[in-house]
Amino acid sequence: MRRVLALALASVLLAPGRASGDESEEARLRARLEPELATPVIEVVRSAAAQGLPTAPLVARALEGASRQAGDAAILDAVRRYATGLAAARRALGSTARAAELDAGAGALMAGVPEDSLASLKRARPSGSLVIPLVVLSDFVARGVPVADASNAVLAATRAGAADPALLRMRERIHERILRGEAPTGASREGLRELLMKTPGTPKERGSREPREKGRP
Amino acid sequence: MNGDERWDDDVRVEYQLPIEGEEQARDRAIRRLRRESATRGIGAWWVDPDALRMRPALAAACVFAVLLIGAWSGAAWMASRGARAPLPPIATLPSGSTAVTFVFRAPGATRVSLVGDFNGWDPDATPLARATTGEIWTAQVPLQHGLHAYAFVIDGRDWEPDPSAPLAPVATFGRRNSLLVVGEDRAL
Repeated sequence: MRRVLALALASVLLAPGRASGDESEEARLRARLEPELATPVIEVVRSAAAQGLPTAPLVARALEGASRQAGDAAILDAVRRYATGLAAARRALGSTARAAELDAGAGALMAGVPEDSLASLKRARPSGSLVIPLVVLSDFVARGVPVADASNAVLAATRAGAADPALLRMRERIHERILRGEAPTGASREGLRELLMKTPGTPKERGSREPREKGRP
Repeated sequence: MNGDERWDDDVRVEYQLPIEGEEQARDRAIRRLRRESATRGIGAWWVDPDALRMRPALAAACVFAVLLIGAWSGAAWMASRGARAPLPPIATLPSGSTAVTFVFRAPGATRVSLVGDFNGWDPDATPLARATTGEIWTAQVPLQHGLHAYAFVIDGRDWEPDPSAPLAPVATFGRRNSLLVVGEDRAL
């Protein structure tokens, strides 16, 4: 009986907060989008919320499109594709993944990173946050590193136990190499090699060869 | 006059007698002092412990003035290099948020603003302040912990990513955004 009362009390206390949060997002969308666009976008947002997906990234995509004066079709398409990406990211990262991880994972998937690579990352770091590895991976892809090389570099570094600051340093070094004119592929391999050489407990010879997952590109 | 008194008088007379060579020795000493004073250069003045005498209050005032000039010169040098001056801290931050300072270099720009998912991508919401040199623009924004996408808008037209930050993997509306992670190990 006490448990039922506690649940009822919790639902009463929490419900207004959720409702106001959803209403707030919908109000923002209605204030910034034309009604014929706001309605389908809100449908996508509600559908995502019903699946337990984070809705803030979807609202952000729609508002970004409005600020950039994109066409209605482009905005709606972007929101739908992002919702699909969030669902795929949750499939790959698991139901316990946090909103920021799903957000970063959706971006990586939309850039062509396979779901398997995200799942491998999750296995490589089962309890820690994957936000920074996923952001680093996305940055590599954005800077022209082929998806396979980018995935391999971040996965190998994470498997070697590289912490977030080491991943960030690797990103900076690879970025600098690319700015100096090195090919993105070579830059990512050198960046990974340097990281593995400096990571404690990593056999030095691993730095000269990139470990790859069987059957992965 | 008894014997003691006579002895005293003899001693007194003896002391009052001129010492042989005393005048010459005094002249030699004076000439030497004059010669040394004439040959002492500016360098010797700097190492002479008695060359400078100053009241303690005046010495303290001089030290303070030197420090003030040093601080002013340092600030002017920093400004000339385009470094940003320290920004005032944000007095109160919402729970689970961190104050993040955005810095962007935009030569020739008349207006720069920050857009991102934290301000609804509104170009009017977060204008950046121009630093002393005119090329550096800054803004300090409290951000909730998590992943944020953002960009800079120059003169209300051009959207530019942050050159020092990770890029978003997909250019959803033509240009890529920058990514920022707040509250993991640090702001990225």
